[in-house]
Amino acid sequence: MFIGVTGYNHESSAALVDENGVLVDFYREESLSRIKGDKSFPKRSIQKLLITNNLKKKDIERVAFYERPLSAFLHIAKEASLHMPRSLSLLTHQFRNFNRSSVSCYLDFLKFFRGLETKLIYSDHHLSHTLTALAYTNTKKDICSVVVDGFGDRSTASISQIVDPTEINELWECPYPISLGLFYSSITDYLGFAINEGEYKVMGLASFGDSKSNSARLVRGLMDWDSTSNEIISDMSYFDYHLSTSNSFSNKLEELLGPARNPFVRLVPGDSDFQRCADIARGAQDLTIYLLEKIFTHAHKITNSRRFLFSGGVSMNSASIDSLAQLSFVDEIIIPPSPGDAGCAIGAAFYCYIKSNYYSDFNISKPSLFPSRKEIRNDEFITEQIVSNEFSVLQRDEDDAFLKAAELIAEGEVIGTVLSSSETGPRALGNRSLLCDGKNKEAVENLNNVIKNRSPFRPTAPAMRYEIAQKYYRLRPEIYECYKSMSATCKCFEENVSLEFPTTHVDGTARVQIVENNSSLDKLLSILEPMGIEILANSSLNVSGDPTCFDLVDGLMVCSRTKLRYLLTDIGLLKRKK
Amino acid sequence: MKKSQSELNVFYETAHAELASALEMLAACKVTESPKQAFGYFMHAKDEYNHARSFFEMLSKRGKRASIEIARDFRFTPPSLITKGYISKKGFLIETMNLKDFIAFVYTNELLAKSSFENILILVGHSTHESRRISSIMADELRHHGMAKKFFLNHYPDLQPWQLMIYRTKETIHNKGRKIYDANLKFLDRLLTPLYRAIAYLAGTMAMKLNLNEFKRKGKNLMNISSSSIL
Ligand SMILES: [Fe+2]
Ligand SMILES: [Fe+2]
Ligand SMILES: [Fe+2]
Repeated sequence: MFIGVTGYNHESSAALVDENGVLVDFYREESLSRIKGDKSFPKRSIQKLLITNNLKKKDIERVAFYERPLSAFLHIAKEASLHMPRSLSLLTHQFRNFNRSSVSCYLDFLKFFRGLETKLIYSDHHLSHTLTALAYTNTKKDICSVVVDGFGDRSTASISQIVDPTEINELWECPYPISLGLFYSSITDYLGFAINEGEYKVMGLASFGDSKSNSARLVRGLMDWDSTSNEIISDMSYFDYHLSTSNSFSNKLEELLGPARNPFVRLVPGDSDFQRCADIARGAQDLTIYLLEKIFTHAHKITNSRRFLFSGGVSMNSASIDSLAQLSFVDEIIIPPSPGDAGCAIGAAFYCYIKSNYYSDFNISKPSLFPSRKEIRNDEFITEQIVSNEFSVLQRDEDDAFLKAAELIAEGEVIGTVLSSSETGPRALGNRSLLCDGKNKEAVENLNNVIKNRSPFRPTAPAMRYEIAQKYYRLRPEIYECYKSMSATCKCFEENVSLEFPTTHVDGTARVQIVENNSSLDKLLSILEPMGIEILANSSLNVSGDPTCFDLVDGLMVCSRTKLRYLLTDIGLLKRKK
Repeated sequence: MKKSQSELNVFYETAHAELASALEMLAACKVTESPKQAFGYFMHAKDEYNHARSFFEMLSKRGKRASIEIARDFRFTPPSLITKGYISKKGFLIETMNLKDFIAFVYTNELLAKSSFENILILVGHSTHESRRISSIMADELRHHGMAKKFFLNHYPDLQPWQLMIYRTKETIHNKGRKIYDANLKFLDRLLTPLYRAIAYLAGTMAMKLNLNEFKRKGKNLMNISSSSIL
């Protein structure tokens, strides 16, 4: 058995791969600690891997950490040192927290899982991203990997050529501190949204902006592609992320674009500052698409490949994928369901697996979209009193529960689900979701505003079968796999009814989810379609700011804390009493 | 300026504390083997989540009025629950304490929480919407305290009320101690900051000379780089 872990600098997680190359289990630390974006050493996740899979430490052959700790540390320190004394507080912070950085991974294993520290090896940050993505392809040879994130352990973007899983040659990199990911985060921060979380909001907001506006043009000019040296170039004086622990952008950016937004003031369409912010977001989105197209074009030029893996935080920018799919040389783009750093635990676990079977046959199986094992403990027993006091059980039998849930959806209700195994994250694909009739405007509004309190400019995703999606949306076969994990948006056909669907964004796009066969949503839709409902609006089951629900207790808690009334679970369909 | 900052800080820290309590109770709910206790912890967690939400709302109301520089300092990021020490790096209390100590801890802390709200009541002014909300939170805390006490006496009938008093005194001292320790640490930090900065300056001067070309991987097979090196 092989374990991969991430943590410290970015969200932590742990993955388990068996000796047949199958991803058997995966947890994000935030799912278990309930602390969104938890970066601490993933001890709960590792513990859970061991307990749920009935493993002793001796059953673990190797453990891989997803990056090279000292490399990440030194790159940041070196860059900051070039800007002393301005960067002194960042340097002080770096050196003072040395023992809390990923350098202490070994010590944490020693402290919490004595015995495993001797089995610890280190992958490379972008290699971990690449291997994660590679696992989700059908053929694991002759493909090009593009990784674009904030910062790995050496670089902020890279291109490598995968000959086979034992030969992955890096051909191009974008060195820190120039970073498309950190640029996008800085704009997120400038617009008053939280870094690592508000990026989705910027992407949604961009659709309200005008590419030709002055603000958009100014943002668009912050970075560029130098086609002689094939490098990303940027005037770093607009950014502070490489110099400061608290500021990602500099005063100069505020001089250029106007004052940053107060994070406590909610941004609503129609506000006086709304258009300026939307234009800035538009500029950031345009620049992102432009640079990604350049990176992909360069990747094709140096590898000759027509098939691409795309991962790293920037690949979560689902609004840019449709443009990439239209590049003439692209035959296929694969984005793993968890392309950010948390997903790297999967790549790190496969790294151990490949390393251990280097000279023999090995076989990496394509992981499930729902890899987290279900709890062994008896949910029904432990939640007995919570359920009997706070909920009524409408249907216990699984088929009856699904049927009743479908009827409720048809009546315009919103249903929460806590079913079977959990998604890889960050997107809920049906097992930890909030669902309603995707064409019922009132129901979708209820889901968005009453239950989730979502920003008014963030659209909700529609989920449906492939045959249905074809009627409404311009799907691209190059990114078919991406639709299964909601990784790409697509355009509605012109003059199509879908333009009026409440799940369609202002710019006529939707983040479609193509439902997998035999999944919970597939089952629900097979009941709903004869009732005339072919599209479900699908959002993650959580209170805003919290991680997506993990277990039944979390689901019951969301019901108790919000106006959500129905919960479809493995113990039946529940209705909140009060 | 200073005043609004310290006021924001009160709501900011209290919201952290309440959210941390919610997570502690949720964790206890998931760990216990008894459905009855699970229900108790569940309802307690729900209350604490609501308290946290109230304080976040009060924070947000004041944050909107503050200057952007100040407001930015009081943005909530969940991982700060750990870095600020509201949730221990070692784990949730239920994972690191025995049940008896855990209940005693809840019992005492609910009372301490209630008394700290009295100070916030002064901040928000009397007979406002916020003061009514805080009063109702205080009533919740008293109820939690009562429940913990009842639970404690039910499960440990041999323990006399005076023993609970001891627990309470111990925890109060502990809590005060924590505050003094925290204050000392902050003081020490201020004292040592110039030293830290001087060291960082020196280390920075050395870092400047680092040649990171060694880390370049262009043209290399990433699968062949030594897997035992942290560099
Ligand atoms: Fe990354
Ligand atoms: Fe409370
Ligand atoms: Fe309480």
